[in-house]
Amino acid sequence: MKGYASLVKPYILWMSLFIVVPMLLIVLYAFTEHGNALMAFRFTLGNFMRFFDPVFIKVLFKSLEVAIITTILCIIIGYPIAYVISNASERAQTLLILLITLPMWINMLVRTYAWISILSDGGILNSIFQFFGLAPIKMMYTDFAVMLGMVYNFLPFMIISIYTVLAKLDRALIHASHDLGANPLQTFLRVVLPLSMPGVISGITLVFLPAVSTFVIPKFLGGGQYMLIGNLIENQFITVGEWNFGSAISLIMAVIIMGSMILTRKIDRDASDTTSVEGGKLW
Amino acid sequence: MVGLKKHNFTKFFILFGVMSFFYLPILSLMIFSFNDSRSLTSWSGFSLQWYQALFENREMMTAITTTITIALISTFVATVMGTLAAIGISKSRRLIKELVLSVNSFPILNPEIVTAIGLMLLYSSLNVEKGFMTMLLAHIIFSTPYVILSVLPRLRRLDPDIAEAALDLGATPLQALWKVIVPMITPGIISGALIAFTMSFDDFVISYFVSGNGVKNISILVYTMSKRINPTINALSTILVVIITIVLLVVNLYPYITKKEMKEAE
Amino acid sequence: MKKLSMLILVLAFMLAGCNSETKTLKVFNWGVYMDASLIDEFEKEYNVRVVYDEFDSNESMYTKLMSGEKYDVIVPSDYMVQRLIQENLLQKLDKKVVSLDNVLSNVLNKDFDPNNDYSAPYFWGNVGLIYDTTQVDAKDLEDGWNILLNEKYKGKIYFYDSERDAFLVALKALGYSANSKVDSQLNEAFNWLTRLNSTMSPIYVTDDVIDNMVAGNKAIAVVYSGDAAYILDENENMGYFVPKEGTNLWIDSMVIPANADNPELANAWIAFMLSEDAQSRNTLEVGYSTVHKDVWETMISDEGDYAGNDAYAVRVDYAKDEIFKYDEELKVKMSDLWLKIKAQ
Repeated sequence: MKGYASLVKPYILWMSLFIVVPMLLIVLYAFTEHGNALMAFRFTLGNFMRFFDPVFIKVLFKSLEVAIITTILCIIIGYPIAYVISNASERAQTLLILLITLPMWINMLVRTYAWISILSDGGILNSIFQFFGLAPIKMMYTDFAVMLGMVYNFLPFMIISIYTVLAKLDRALIHASHDLGANPLQTFLRVVLPLSMPGVISGITLVFLPAVSTFVIPKFLGGGQYMLIGNLIENQFITVGEWNFGSAISLIMAVIIMGSMILTRKIDRDASDTTSVEGGKLW
Repeated sequence: MVGLKKHNFTKFFILFGVMSFFYLPILSLMIFSFNDSRSLTSWSGFSLQWYQALFENREMMTAITTTITIALISTFVATVMGTLAAIGISKSRRLIKELVLSVNSFPILNPEIVTAIGLMLLYSSLNVEKGFMTMLLAHIIFSTPYVILSVLPRLRRLDPDIAEAALDLGATPLQALWKVIVPMITPGIISGALIAFTMSFDDFVISYFVSGNGVKNISILVYTMSKRINPTINALSTILVVIITIVLLVVNLYPYITKKEMKEAE
Repeated sequence: MKKLSMLILVLAFMLAGCNSETKTLKVFNWGVYMDASLIDEFEKEYNVRVVYDEFDSNESMYTKLMSGEKYDVIVPSDYMVQRLIQENLLQKLDKKVVSLDNVLSNVLNKDFDPNNDYSAPYFWGNVGLIYDTTQVDAKDLEDGWNILLNEKYKGKIYFYDSERDAFLVALKALGYSANSKVDSQLNEAFNWLTRLNSTMSPIYVTDDVIDNMVAGNKAIAVVYSGDAAYILDENENMGYFVPKEGTNLWIDSMVIPANADNPELANAWIAFMLSEDAQSRNTLEVGYSTVHKDVWETMISDEGDYAGNDAYAVRVDYAKDEIFKYDEELKVKMSDLWLKIKAQ
């Protein structure tokens, strides 16, 4: 049996080079100055200081705000849907889940790109409005468009996370609750909701993390002036070429996200053995 | 009875609303891929010109080939490496297990852009020329952790004595691995491979930062082409949607079909 | 399983290695800036493979170069050519292969490359305002660049997402030079742009301005003259206007990086692109103003494709129109300010 344990050694080597070293490089670049050449290093906190400018802090807060609102919207919209599906017949459940996951398999850029032609001033929705005699509404390049794009992309994750837990719920518990005299609302609030929390938490993880760091959705639907922290980082690395500043921003964002993840998991201390791969067995 | 009907109506309404929300963009993509003019908002008539343009567009065809090739190879390598690593992890001491799993989780917990930048800095420091191989390597790197997490639960439920028994009966460690352990964890391997494939096929952020030399996958191509209205993207998307739909239908209806066959056989 | 893995490996090697015999020319150009059939023709004529990559700003092109990517031909703008020359990143053109005899005299021998040792012009033009004649009052245009602050057009403006072009507009609107290094003037420009941002809600775009203005999605846009020429062709409600405060006269040129793998092929490509046929096809496809003497005459003549197109026939010899200059100090200041504007 000991022999098999050594199978892990190559992977440890792999991880050291390809997971650990890149992280260390980001830290290195974040704390040094003028670093495109490996040799010209000077330790500095300047990159971090530069970030603590009201303009950039505002970007950070906006990203957090957008991500939180998106997550909340996904919960509000996703929970009822997951609930409805979990109460449907088994065949209906399979069909519905299939229908929900199908869009997820289609490339994210393509799905976001599709919204441009729907939301634009001369686009499909506005054409429909005009047909009914309503004035065209400006939807592209607004907070609304970005939020819509985010919810559209991340909602399926939330639905599936909650559904997975709800579907496994022991029906006997609900029957028992009814037998003991609780009405449907009480049953829901006191039995179903608390038991479904792991699913909600897992869904929050799947939505909040990418929502904070995304840059494609704001770029496509928000216009060049809509800057979230992901856009800022992309801008520093691809356009401006200031890798040190970019690394510092990445580090700040990574720390904030890791922090909120740990916090979320502490809230859900009974992180049960979920079947979701992003899984609870890590902490 | 009236209450029940109302209830059903609400359910139906919610579901219908959500489904329309999900499928409106996809349908609009598909419909306008057949548009006679270059517009994505006004219909001028039916035409297959964009499909023709798609197949004649060398850059798009190359991107499609690149995407599929990288997805296939990275899935294969990640699955093999991930499965072996998972076996190793499951048999390791607790300390090593915890350490390895923690580091393994970095690519999963980190935002994609952070992983992407890390790799970009790595390649730059090693002075590696960015291109096909760097993209392939990056895909393997971010897929393997998912395979590991997919296989590990299966390994946990495995009877630890079975492999031991095989060895006692004269099997070499390799035989025991291949003929005893692997078949029992196959569902985990398959689901891991599927996840790896999807992540690779769909990837944008990481590929965007680590590729160079004109090497592009479908996502990068859509990103660069999105500045101008180009219905060839719609044509490509429609084909992808059709393929995915067929695959998902087959996979999900397969159990029903085999059940039927079995019933008929009785 | 074994057979499948063998197949995959073979496929991998085939795809990865299949182009190692033919020579490869790596070209890095602006997006939507080339007639693709020219690439095919060059490949066939010289029996080579062309890897064609695109960028959307001088800055991101420079960053990509600095990250280690090697190219044989790049097409930077004037001030970027100046920067690359200053930093010793270019090699001289082979004048035996590349002849500039047919190039318009008013795009040659400029300050950024006085004898055109390093650069061969590709397209040229200026920056102006494209506007919807049905929505914009002609009198408002008299304000010049300041029309962009006119609250009447709030929410109806596209602004160009480019550092230097943004400051060009702001500095010119305030009556300063587009190459000003004076801190007080730059700060005033920063305030002008901040005001634009907060009161007018402009949308920052690059190439997507073209299709959007053809569709008439907004009333005014800051555009390059070449894009305007295309838009004017496609949408008859549009007009092009260059303010009297002056604008930026730009020249995009083909250059060869110092570390290019195939300088001879690079020179051949440049010579090919300067030929009358290539220039003609390129200008017709892309819409930007050609640098070839004869093609230019044809295009702006009465029977020409761009006859009467205000954006195509670029205004020359206007004292207030300036070519961008590169200055390291200015670059640092401007980048910093621009980032703050975008993050607002």
